[in-house]
Amino acid sequence: METLVEINNVRKVYKRDAFEVPVLNGVTLDVPRGDFLALMGPSGSGKTTLLNLIAGIDRPTRGHISVDGKEISRFSETQLASWRSRHVGFIFQMYNLIPVLTAFENIELPLLLTKLSKKERREHVKAALGIVGLGDRSFHYPRQLSGGQEQRVAIARAIVTDPTLLVADEPTGDLDARNAEETLDLLQRLNADFQKTIVMVTHDPKAAQHAKRTLHLEKGLLVEAVETAAHA
Amino acid sequence: MRFAKLIRRNLFRNKVRAILTMLLLAVIFFFVATLLGILQNFETFSNAGEGSNRLVVQSAISLANLLPYAHEQKIRQLPGVVDTAKLQWIGAYYKEKSNFFANFAIDVDKMPTVFDDYKVDPQEFAAFAADRRGALVGKDLMSRFGWKVGDRITLKRQIFPFDPELTIRGTYVHPVQTTSVFFPMEYFQESMVNKGQVGTIWVKVKDPKQMAAISQQIDAMFKNSDYPTETFTEKEFQLNFMSMMGNIKLLFTAVSSCAIFMVILLAAITMSMSARERVTEIAVLKAIGFEQRLVLGLMLTEFILLTVIGGTIGSYGAHFIYAFVDMGKVTQGFLQNFGIHTKTLAVCIASSAAVGLIAGGLPALRASNLRVVDGLRRVV
Repeated sequence: METLVEINNVRKVYKRDAFEVPVLNGVTLDVPRGDFLALMGPSGSGKTTLLNLIAGIDRPTRGHISVDGKEISRFSETQLASWRSRHVGFIFQMYNLIPVLTAFENIELPLLLTKLSKKERREHVKAALGIVGLGDRSFHYPRQLSGGQEQRVAIARAIVTDPTLLVADEPTGDLDARNAEETLDLLQRLNADFQKTIVMVTHDPKAAQHAKRTLHLEKGLLVEAVETAAHA
Repeated sequence: MRFAKLIRRNLFRNKVRAILTMLLLAVIFFFVATLLGILQNFETFSNAGEGSNRLVVQSAISLANLLPYAHEQKIRQLPGVVDTAKLQWIGAYYKEKSNFFANFAIDVDKMPTVFDDYKVDPQEFAAFAADRRGALVGKDLMSRFGWKVGDRITLKRQIFPFDPELTIRGTYVHPVQTTSVFFPMEYFQESMVNKGQVGTIWVKVKDPKQMAAISQQIDAMFKNSDYPTETFTEKEFQLNFMSMMGNIKLLFTAVSSCAIFMVILLAAITMSMSARERVTEIAVLKAIGFEQRLVLGLMLTEFILLTVIGGTIGSYGAHFIYAFVDMGKVTQGFLQNFGIHTKTLAVCIASSAAVGLIAGGLPALRASNLRVVDGLRRVV
């Protein structure tokens, strides 16, 4: 299968005052196109840092990261922002919707950076709302939605530009069991039906079971790879 | 603009705070517009005779000291002088002290040559010239008191020992001086114990380039007399008249600057709070591809809009209020034809935009420079 994300000997060191805190210690990883990868590990193991590097919102201290043939670790901030707008969809634990915008307007946000007309943007948003099953909530504000619905709006916002890669950081961390299950089913469907490549960070082994494979990190190193039975 | 909705929603995300901030700005800019309006009013008044080639001769001791009529004869002989006219400020009022306006005794026959920028219907002027107690009244003053040609009015004394009893014979039109009353010098002289003296002599000069030279000649001519003179251009004379009230310009400018500085500090606090509580949202916007410049632009636009709306409400509020309130009456004649003009409105609105830029610059810059991972970490 074609490799979408290539991570080669990546190190990440954070500076905290006079101290250097190594978080990733030479991670090498390939993520094939169409993969659904779960990253697991204890707190401080570096999984969110690895996700941030893949998504282009942070830079490695050393090593190389390529996504879809482009070495993003060499991009400038402006190039990275532009690249993210076209290639990455973000799903956060706390949904991070803009509270002053309706569901429709939140989903439309990434499209404002494109050259699409208002009519075209509306069509894209409607399509994304349809996929997440929230067509009837488009004019609701985030405060008028349940946690599960908010996360589905966040997923619609992540997919509305048809990005190459979806990154999800603890997407079910703030949801009850039923909503968590629905969210994971939705991610699984995006992977299966729309061939979206997904990298998901989770603490929850049940959530990881929805992925095609799971990688474990400990102390900044990949220690174990597990092929999920359901996808094996 | 495709981001207009985002800016608008963010602007009013905390409605109470936004409205209170705008109200604060509105009050401050109402105040600033009023002060600037007063300054402009003075400026307009002092420019009243600009381009009319007039010099004003007064006593070198003070405006309160009078000059003999003989001075006028000598001044008129000077080369380059077209004509001269005697003018005496009377300082009377109509019925109540609050009905104060400028009123002058004047050489009526010299008005058409020396004060040719005052436009009067020829028939009305002839009637005015023929009546020793006739009055020529500014158009706006006629409207203010609802006077008509033919009305009899009596002014009350303040300085000179007589109450001018006048019959309105005509109306004059002038671009600036629209609220004055003129009546014949002869009528004023009747009331004077020391006749043949006047406060100012106005000199019409042929060539404006000669004004400085003629001014020096006049003062040199009377330097060693019992009545030395000091000669000014009309603008200088008006400015001197204003300066009798102290350095109002400096005072008003200082007060306005303090008010604006205070509002910058208050707006900066509001904007910093607004930016700080949105750190995660800004990080999300940057994560999904909003570039630093765009985030900076959006935030600055929002902050500038906040202050411009407040500034516009305040300055236009002043504009409309003063259009309906007779400030001449309120200030007992201190402010005539007072209003907030387009220039003052433009200055106030531009200043309010500058307040937004200065107060919001740092919070917006900090927000736009925020690293995505740092912004997300604060909440997650």
